[in-house]
Amino acid sequence: MLIPSSKYQSAPEQLGNIQVPKRASYISVIMLELSRIASHLLWLGPFMADIGVQTPFFYIFRERELIYDQFKAATDKCLDFCDYFLTGIAEYQKLITRNPIFLERVEGVGIIGGEEAINWGLSGPMLRASGIEWDLHKVDHYECYDKFDWEVQWQKRGGFALEGIPGGPYENLEIRRFDRVKDIVWNEFDYRFISKKPSPTFELSKQELYARVQAPKGELGIFLIGDKGVFPWRYKIRLPGFINLQILPQLVK
Amino acid sequence: MQGNLSAWLVKHALIHISLGFDYQGIETLQIKPGDWHSIAVILYVYGYNYLRSQCTYDVASGGLLASVYHVTRIEYGVDQPEEVCIKVFTPRKDPRIPSVFWVWKSVDFQERESYDMLGISYDNHPRLKRILMPESWIGWPLRKDYIAPNFYEIQDAH
Repeated sequence: MLIPSSKYQSAPEQLGNIQVPKRASYISVIMLELSRIASHLLWLGPFMADIGVQTPFFYIFRERELIYDQFKAATDKCLDFCDYFLTGIAEYQKLITRNPIFLERVEGVGIIGGEEAINWGLSGPMLRASGIEWDLHKVDHYECYDKFDWEVQWQKRGGFALEGIPGGPYENLEIRRFDRVKDIVWNEFDYRFISKKPSPTFELSKQELYARVQAPKGELGIFLIGDKGVFPWRYKIRLPGFINLQILPQLVK
Repeated sequence: MQGNLSAWLVKHALIHISLGFDYQGIETLQIKPGDWHSIAVILYVYGYNYLRSQCTYDVASGGLLASVYHVTRIEYGVDQPEEVCIKVFTPRKDPRIPSVFWVWKSVDFQERESYDMLGISYDNHPRLKRILMPESWIGWPLRKDYIAPNFYEIQDAH
Protein backbone atom coordinates (compact mmCIF):
# COMPACT_ATOMS: atom_id res chain seq x y z
CA MET A 1 0.00 0.00 0.00
CA LEU A 2 1.06 3.56 0.33
CA ILE A 3 3.10 2.95 3.40
CA PRO A 4 6.23 1.53 1.81
CA SER A 5 6.51 4.25 -0.80
CA SER A 6 5.89 7.04 1.64
CA LYS A 7 8.38 5.82 4.16
CA TYR A 8 11.12 4.67 1.85
CA GLN A 9 11.65 8.33 1.28
CA SER A 10 11.61 9.37 4.91
CA ALA A 11 15.15 8.10 5.47
CA PRO A 12 16.71 10.26 2.74
CA GLU A 13 14.52 13.12 3.90
CA GLN A 14 15.95 12.93 7.35
CA LEU A 15 19.47 12.54 6.07
CA GLY A 16 19.15 15.58 3.86
CA ASN A 17 17.47 17.57 6.61
CA ILE A 18 14.49 18.44 4.50
CA GLN A 19 11.61 20.15 6.21
CA VAL A 20 8.29 18.57 5.48
CA PRO A 21 5.43 21.10 5.24
CA LYS A 22 2.67 20.53 7.74
CA ARG A 23 -0.01 19.93 5.19
CA ALA A 24 2.01 17.16 3.62
CA SER A 25 2.53 15.70 7.04
CA TYR A 26 -1.17 15.57 7.80
CA ILE A 27 -1.99 14.09 4.44
CA SER A 28 0.69 11.52 5.03
CA VAL A 29 -0.86 10.60 8.37
CA ILE A 30 -4.26 10.10 6.83
CA MET A 31 -2.88 8.00 4.03
CA LEU A 32 -0.91 5.89 6.48
CA GLU A 33 -3.94 5.20 8.58
CA LEU A 34 -6.02 4.26 5.58
CA SER A 35 -3.25 1.94 4.47
CA ARG A 36 -3.23 0.39 7.86
CA ILE A 37 -6.95 -0.28 7.76
CA ALA A 38 -6.68 -1.70 4.27
CA SER A 39 -3.81 -3.96 5.27
CA HIS A 40 -5.59 -5.32 8.30
CA LEU A 41 -8.70 -5.92 6.24
CA LEU A 42 -6.68 -7.95 3.80
CA TRP A 43 -5.26 -10.04 6.62
CA LEU A 44 -8.72 -10.74 7.91
CA GLY A 45 -10.16 -12.18 4.70
CA PRO A 46 -7.80 -15.09 4.14
CA PHE A 47 -7.56 -15.72 7.88
CA MET A 48 -11.29 -16.30 8.08
CA ALA A 49 -11.14 -18.37 4.93
CA ASP A 50 -8.52 -20.60 6.51
CA ILE A 51 -10.68 -21.08 9.55
CA GLY A 52 -13.58 -22.01 7.36
CA VAL A 53 -15.71 -18.92 6.97
CA GLN A 54 -16.01 -17.71 3.41
CA THR A 55 -18.20 -14.61 3.72
CA PRO A 56 -15.88 -12.00 5.24
CA PHE A 57 -13.59 -12.54 2.27
CA PHE A 58 -16.07 -10.67 0.13
CA TYR A 59 -16.95 -8.10 2.75
CA ILE A 60 -13.37 -6.93 3.05
CA PHE A 61 -13.05 -6.30 -0.62
CA ARG A 62 -16.09 -4.11 -0.52
CA GLU A 63 -14.41 -1.89 2.06
CA ARG A 64 -11.07 -2.02 0.39
CA GLU A 65 -12.56 -0.73 -2.85
CA LEU A 66 -13.52 2.41 -1.03
CA ILE A 67 -10.03 2.83 0.29
CA TYR A 68 -8.62 2.35 -3.18
CA ASP A 69 -10.81 5.19 -4.34
CA GLN A 70 -9.43 7.38 -1.58
CA PHE A 71 -5.93 6.66 -2.64
CA LYS A 72 -6.72 7.55 -6.19
CA ALA A 73 -8.45 10.79 -5.48
CA ALA A 74 -6.92 11.89 -2.15
CA THR A 75 -9.63 14.34 -1.36
CA ASP A 76 -11.93 15.26 1.48
CA LYS A 77 -14.06 12.22 0.83
CA CYS A 78 -12.09 10.56 3.65
CA LEU A 79 -14.66 11.85 6.07
CA ASP A 80 -17.50 10.05 4.35
CA PHE A 81 -15.53 6.83 4.45
CA CYS A 82 -14.97 7.13 8.17
CA ASP A 83 -18.66 7.48 8.86
CA TYR A 84 -19.43 4.54 6.65
CA PHE A 85 -16.73 2.38 8.14
CA LEU A 86 -18.03 2.71 11.65
CA THR A 87 -21.25 1.00 10.65
CA GLY A 88 -19.17 -1.52 8.76
CA ILE A 89 -17.32 -2.28 11.96
CA ALA A 90 -20.56 -3.01 13.75
CA GLU A 91 -21.35 -5.53 11.06
CA TYR A 92 -17.98 -7.22 11.44
CA GLN A 93 -18.46 -7.41 15.15
CA LYS A 94 -21.72 -9.20 14.79
CA LEU A 95 -20.34 -11.60 12.22
CA ILE A 96 -16.98 -12.39 13.70
CA THR A 97 -16.11 -11.22 17.14
CA ARG A 98 -19.29 -12.30 18.84
CA ASN A 99 -19.45 -15.56 16.96
CA PRO A 100 -18.97 -18.45 19.39
CA ILE A 101 -17.63 -20.83 16.77
CA PHE A 102 -14.95 -18.37 15.79
CA LEU A 103 -14.00 -17.71 19.38
CA GLU A 104 -13.74 -21.35 20.20
CA ARG A 105 -11.45 -21.99 17.28
CA VAL A 106 -9.24 -19.03 17.78
CA GLU A 107 -8.96 -18.23 21.45
CA GLY A 108 -5.86 -19.52 23.11
CA VAL A 109 -4.15 -20.60 19.93
CA GLY A 110 -0.55 -19.63 19.48
CA ILE A 111 0.17 -17.74 22.65
CA ILE A 112 3.45 -15.96 23.23
CA GLY A 113 4.42 -14.30 26.44
CA GLY A 114 5.46 -10.67 26.49
CA GLU A 115 9.13 -11.26 27.24
CA GLU A 116 9.45 -13.83 24.54
CA ALA A 117 7.77 -11.59 22.04
CA ILE A 118 10.35 -8.90 22.64
CA ASN A 119 13.16 -11.39 22.40
CA TRP A 120 12.01 -12.60 19.03
CA GLY A 121 11.89 -9.03 17.82
CA LEU A 122 8.19 -8.89 17.04
CA SER A 123 6.50 -5.59 16.49
CA GLY A 124 3.16 -4.16 15.58
CA PRO A 125 -0.08 -5.95 16.34
CA MET A 126 1.69 -9.12 17.46
CA LEU A 127 3.60 -7.29 20.13
CA ARG A 128 0.59 -5.34 21.28
CA ALA A 129 -1.52 -8.44 21.61
CA SER A 130 1.11 -10.04 23.80
CA GLY A 131 0.72 -7.47 26.49
CA ILE A 132 3.32 -4.86 25.65
CA GLU A 133 2.14 -1.35 25.07
CA TRP A 134 4.44 -0.30 22.27
CA ASP A 135 3.51 1.71 19.28
CA LEU A 136 6.08 3.56 17.26
CA HIS A 137 3.63 6.33 16.50
CA LYS A 138 3.59 7.31 20.15
CA VAL A 139 7.13 6.46 21.07
CA ASP A 140 8.91 8.10 18.21
CA HIS A 141 6.72 11.19 17.87
CA TYR A 142 7.03 11.28 14.17
CA GLU A 143 4.94 13.09 11.54
CA CYS A 144 2.07 14.75 13.37
CA TYR A 145 0.76 11.98 15.51
CA ASP A 146 1.25 14.12 18.59
CA LYS A 147 -1.42 16.53 17.47
CA PHE A 148 -4.05 13.84 17.62
CA ASP A 149 -5.41 12.68 20.88
CA TRP A 150 -5.31 8.94 21.17
CA GLU A 151 -3.97 6.04 23.14
CA VAL A 152 -2.21 2.86 22.31
CA GLN A 153 -4.62 -0.04 22.32
CA TRP A 154 -3.25 -3.24 23.67
CA GLN A 155 -4.31 -6.37 25.43
CA LYS A 156 -3.02 -7.78 28.61
CA ARG A 157 -3.47 -11.45 27.88
CA GLY A 158 -0.78 -13.32 26.07
CA GLY A 159 -2.94 -14.16 23.10
CA PHE A 160 -1.91 -13.48 19.57
CA ALA A 161 -4.60 -14.98 17.41
CA LEU A 162 -7.27 -12.49 18.39
CA GLU A 163 -5.33 -9.36 17.64
CA GLY A 164 -5.73 -6.96 14.82
CA ILE A 165 -9.30 -7.76 13.79
CA PRO A 166 -10.46 -4.43 12.45
CA GLY A 167 -13.97 -4.94 13.65
CA GLY A 168 -12.62 -6.41 16.78
CA PRO A 169 -11.56 -5.48 20.23
CA TYR A 170 -9.21 -2.57 20.13
CA GLU A 171 -7.94 -1.32 16.82
CA ASN A 172 -11.16 0.30 15.71
CA LEU A 173 -11.21 2.52 18.74
CA GLU A 174 -8.16 4.26 17.37
CA ILE A 175 -10.04 4.98 14.17
CA ARG A 176 -12.91 6.55 16.06
CA ARG A 177 -10.60 9.03 17.67
CA PHE A 178 -9.29 10.10 14.33
CA ASP A 179 -12.77 10.63 13.06
CA ARG A 180 -13.59 13.22 15.65
CA VAL A 181 -10.45 15.24 15.23
CA LYS A 182 -10.24 15.30 11.49
CA ASP A 183 -12.81 18.02 10.93
CA ILE A 184 -10.74 20.56 12.76
CA VAL A 185 -7.70 19.88 10.66
CA TRP A 186 -9.27 20.34 7.28
CA ASN A 187 -11.05 23.53 8.18
CA GLU A 188 -7.94 25.57 8.49
CA PHE A 189 -7.12 27.53 5.42
CA ASP A 190 -3.69 28.75 6.18
CA TYR A 191 -1.97 25.74 4.68
CA ARG A 192 -0.65 26.70 1.31
CA PHE A 193 -1.09 24.25 -1.49
CA ILE A 194 2.29 23.44 -2.92
CA SER A 195 2.10 22.23 -6.45
CA LYS A 196 3.58 18.90 -7.34
CA LYS A 197 7.23 19.25 -8.20
CA PRO A 198 9.33 16.77 -10.11
CA SER A 199 11.26 14.52 -7.77
CA PRO A 200 14.63 16.04 -7.04
CA THR A 201 17.85 14.17 -6.74
CA PHE A 202 20.16 15.46 -4.13
CA GLU A 203 23.43 14.50 -2.56
CA LEU A 204 23.35 12.26 0.45
CA SER A 205 25.93 13.24 3.00
CA LYS A 206 28.36 10.61 4.22
CA GLN A 207 26.40 9.69 7.31
CA GLU A 208 24.30 6.78 8.36
CA LEU A 209 20.78 6.72 9.57
CA TYR A 210 18.12 4.35 10.79
CA ALA A 211 14.62 5.67 10.13
CA ARG A 212 11.61 3.70 11.27
CA VAL A 213 7.87 3.83 10.99
CA GLN A 214 4.94 1.80 12.22
CA ALA A 215 3.67 -0.09 9.21
CA PRO A 216 0.49 -2.18 9.54
CA LYS A 217 2.42 -5.33 10.28
CA GLY A 218 4.94 -3.82 12.60
CA GLU A 219 8.06 -1.79 12.49
CA LEU A 220 9.40 -0.96 9.06
CA GLY A 221 12.94 0.28 9.41
CA ILE A 222 15.34 1.63 6.86
CA PHE A 223 19.05 1.71 7.48
CA LEU A 224 20.68 4.11 5.12
CA ILE A 225 24.37 4.80 4.69
CA GLY A 226 24.94 7.73 2.46
CA ASP A 227 27.85 8.25 0.22
CA LYS A 228 28.77 11.63 -1.13
CA GLY A 229 26.71 11.10 -4.22
CA VAL A 230 23.25 10.42 -5.42
CA PHE A 231 23.18 6.70 -4.66
CA PRO A 232 23.52 5.37 -1.13
CA TRP A 233 26.23 2.95 -0.11
CA ARG A 234 23.86 0.68 1.76
CA TYR A 235 20.09 0.78 1.85
CA LYS A 236 18.75 -1.98 4.06
CA ILE A 237 15.06 -2.39 4.68
CA ARG A 238 13.90 -4.16 7.79
CA LEU A 239 10.57 -5.70 6.97
CA PRO A 240 8.11 -6.34 9.76
CA GLY A 241 6.63 -9.41 8.13
CA PHE A 242 10.03 -11.05 7.70
CA ILE A 243 10.91 -10.66 11.35
CA ASN A 244 7.48 -11.60 12.62
CA LEU A 245 7.70 -14.81 10.65
CA GLN A 246 10.61 -16.13 12.69
CA ILE A 247 8.47 -17.22 15.54
CA LEU A 248 6.34 -19.52 13.43
CA PRO A 249 8.19 -22.80 14.11
CA GLN A 250 7.86 -22.19 17.80
CA LEU A 251 4.20 -21.25 17.69
CA VAL A 252 3.25 -24.33 15.82
CA LYS A 253 4.54 -26.70 18.47
CA MET B 1 32.81 12.23 21.87
CA GLN B 2 31.54 9.63 24.26
CA GLY B 3 27.98 8.72 25.08
CA ASN B 4 26.50 7.36 28.26
CA LEU B 5 26.81 3.72 27.40
CA SER B 6 30.39 4.13 26.34
CA ALA B 7 31.25 5.74 29.65
CA TRP B 8 29.54 2.91 31.50
CA LEU B 9 31.46 0.31 29.55
CA VAL B 10 34.73 2.05 30.26
CA LYS B 11 33.88 2.06 33.95
CA HIS B 12 33.53 -1.71 33.85
CA ALA B 13 36.72 -2.08 31.81
CA LEU B 14 35.12 -3.61 28.73
CA ILE B 15 37.10 -3.15 25.59
CA HIS B 16 35.33 -1.23 22.91
CA ILE B 17 35.79 1.79 20.70
CA SER B 18 33.24 4.55 20.66
CA LEU B 19 32.36 5.61 17.15
CA GLY B 20 30.53 8.75 18.11
CA PHE B 21 26.95 9.33 17.09
CA ASP B 22 25.13 8.75 13.87
CA TYR B 23 22.99 11.29 12.13
CA GLN B 24 20.05 11.01 14.48
CA GLY B 25 22.14 11.10 17.62
CA ILE B 26 22.20 7.38 18.29
CA GLU B 27 25.32 6.24 20.03
CA THR B 28 27.50 3.91 17.99
CA LEU B 29 30.08 1.54 19.43
CA GLN B 30 32.54 -0.79 17.84
CA ILE B 31 33.16 -4.18 19.44
CA LYS B 32 35.70 -6.85 18.53
CA PRO B 33 34.25 -10.13 17.26
CA GLY B 34 35.88 -12.09 20.06
CA ASP B 35 34.23 -9.97 22.74
CA TRP B 36 30.90 -9.58 21.06
CA HIS B 37 29.13 -12.47 22.69
CA SER B 38 29.95 -11.47 26.24
CA ILE B 39 29.13 -7.84 25.63
CA ALA B 40 25.81 -8.83 24.09
CA VAL B 41 24.90 -10.69 27.25
CA ILE B 42 25.95 -7.70 29.31
CA LEU B 43 23.80 -5.38 27.23
CA TYR B 44 20.86 -7.71 27.62
CA VAL B 45 21.27 -7.73 31.35
CA TYR B 46 21.64 -3.96 31.32
CA GLY B 47 18.16 -3.74 29.90
CA TYR B 48 18.34 -3.66 26.14
CA ASN B 49 15.84 -6.36 25.40
CA TYR B 50 14.78 -5.60 21.84
CA LEU B 51 17.08 -6.11 18.92
CA ARG B 52 15.57 -3.98 16.26
CA SER B 53 17.56 -4.83 13.21
CA GLN B 54 20.75 -6.50 12.20
CA CYS B 55 22.40 -5.47 9.03
CA THR B 56 25.74 -5.88 7.33
CA TYR B 57 27.59 -3.78 4.88
CA ASP B 58 30.86 -3.63 3.08
CA VAL B 59 33.09 -0.97 4.50
CA ALA B 60 35.28 -0.50 1.50
CA SER B 61 36.24 -2.58 -1.47
CA GLY B 62 38.91 -4.98 -0.34
CA GLY B 63 38.41 -3.84 3.23
CA LEU B 64 36.48 -5.11 6.19
CA LEU B 65 32.90 -6.27 6.48
CA ALA B 66 30.76 -4.72 9.17
CA SER B 67 27.82 -6.19 11.01
CA VAL B 68 25.52 -3.63 12.59
CA TYR B 69 23.06 -4.26 15.41
CA HIS B 70 20.46 -1.77 16.62
CA VAL B 71 19.23 -2.53 20.11
CA THR B 72 16.79 -0.68 22.25
CA ARG B 73 14.74 -1.11 25.34
CA ILE B 74 11.03 -1.87 25.30
CA GLU B 75 9.32 -1.14 28.54
CA TYR B 76 5.93 -0.20 29.73
CA GLY B 77 5.12 3.41 29.09
CA VAL B 78 8.53 4.56 28.00
CA ASP B 79 8.91 7.58 25.79
CA GLN B 80 11.88 8.04 23.44
CA PRO B 81 13.64 4.90 24.62
CA GLU B 82 17.39 4.79 24.67
CA GLU B 83 18.98 2.91 21.87
CA VAL B 84 22.42 2.04 20.78
CA CYS B 85 24.04 0.83 17.62
CA ILE B 86 26.83 -1.76 17.76
CA LYS B 87 29.20 -2.49 14.92
CA VAL B 88 31.42 -5.53 14.64
CA PHE B 89 34.08 -5.52 11.97
CA THR B 90 35.60 -8.66 10.47
CA PRO B 91 38.24 -9.20 7.83
CA ARG B 92 37.14 -10.26 4.43
CA LYS B 93 39.20 -13.44 4.24
CA ASP B 94 37.55 -15.42 7.00
CA PRO B 95 34.56 -13.54 8.31
CA ARG B 96 33.22 -15.14 11.48
CA ILE B 97 31.24 -13.48 14.21
CA PRO B 98 29.68 -15.17 17.22
CA SER B 99 25.96 -15.37 16.82
CA VAL B 100 23.76 -13.63 19.35
CA PHE B 101 20.77 -15.80 18.63
CA TRP B 102 20.76 -17.13 22.17
CA VAL B 103 20.54 -13.60 23.54
CA TRP B 104 18.02 -12.00 21.18
CA LYS B 105 16.12 -14.49 19.11
CA SER B 106 15.13 -11.93 16.54
CA VAL B 107 18.47 -12.20 14.77
CA ASP B 108 17.56 -15.64 13.51
CA PHE B 109 16.43 -14.67 10.04
CA GLN B 110 18.51 -11.53 9.95
CA GLU B 111 21.80 -13.31 10.50
CA ARG B 112 20.84 -15.83 7.89
CA GLU B 113 20.22 -12.99 5.49
CA SER B 114 23.62 -11.48 6.31
CA TYR B 115 25.24 -14.85 5.74
CA ASP B 116 23.42 -15.20 2.47
CA MET B 117 24.19 -11.77 1.14
CA LEU B 118 27.67 -11.04 2.44
CA GLY B 119 29.13 -14.32 3.57
CA ILE B 120 29.70 -13.60 7.25
CA SER B 121 29.30 -16.89 9.06
CA TYR B 122 27.88 -16.76 12.53
CA ASP B 123 29.16 -19.31 15.02
CA ASN B 124 26.57 -21.10 17.14
CA HIS B 125 23.67 -20.18 14.97
CA PRO B 126 21.25 -23.13 14.99
CA ARG B 127 20.39 -23.23 11.32
CA LEU B 128 22.67 -21.04 9.27
CA LYS B 129 21.68 -21.59 5.70
CA ARG B 130 20.81 -19.37 2.79
CA ILE B 131 17.48 -17.75 3.12
CA LEU B 132 16.88 -15.53 0.11
CA MET B 133 19.05 -17.04 -2.60
CA PRO B 134 18.67 -20.68 -3.66
CA GLU B 135 20.71 -23.02 -1.49
CA SER B 136 23.07 -24.01 -4.22
CA TRP B 137 24.10 -20.47 -5.07
CA ILE B 138 27.78 -19.66 -5.06
CA GLY B 139 28.97 -16.22 -4.16
CA TRP B 140 27.88 -13.45 -1.85
CA PRO B 141 25.57 -11.11 -3.75
CA LEU B 142 25.73 -7.92 -1.76
CA ARG B 143 29.46 -7.60 -1.56
CA LYS B 144 30.79 -4.76 -3.61
CA ASP B 145 33.10 -7.05 -5.56
CA TYR B 146 30.41 -9.49 -6.58
CA ILE B 147 29.93 -10.29 -10.23
CA ALA B 148 26.60 -11.70 -11.25
CA PRO B 149 27.11 -14.87 -13.28
CA ASN B 150 25.89 -15.06 -16.86
CA PHE B 151 25.25 -11.36 -16.96
CA TYR B 152 27.23 -10.02 -19.85
CA GLU B 153 26.64 -6.31 -19.61
CA ILE B 154 29.03 -3.88 -18.04
CA GLN B 155 29.04 -4.30 -14.29
CA ASP B 156 30.36 -2.06 -11.59
CA ALA B 157 32.47 -4.37 -9.46
CA HIS B 158 35.58 -2.84 -7.97
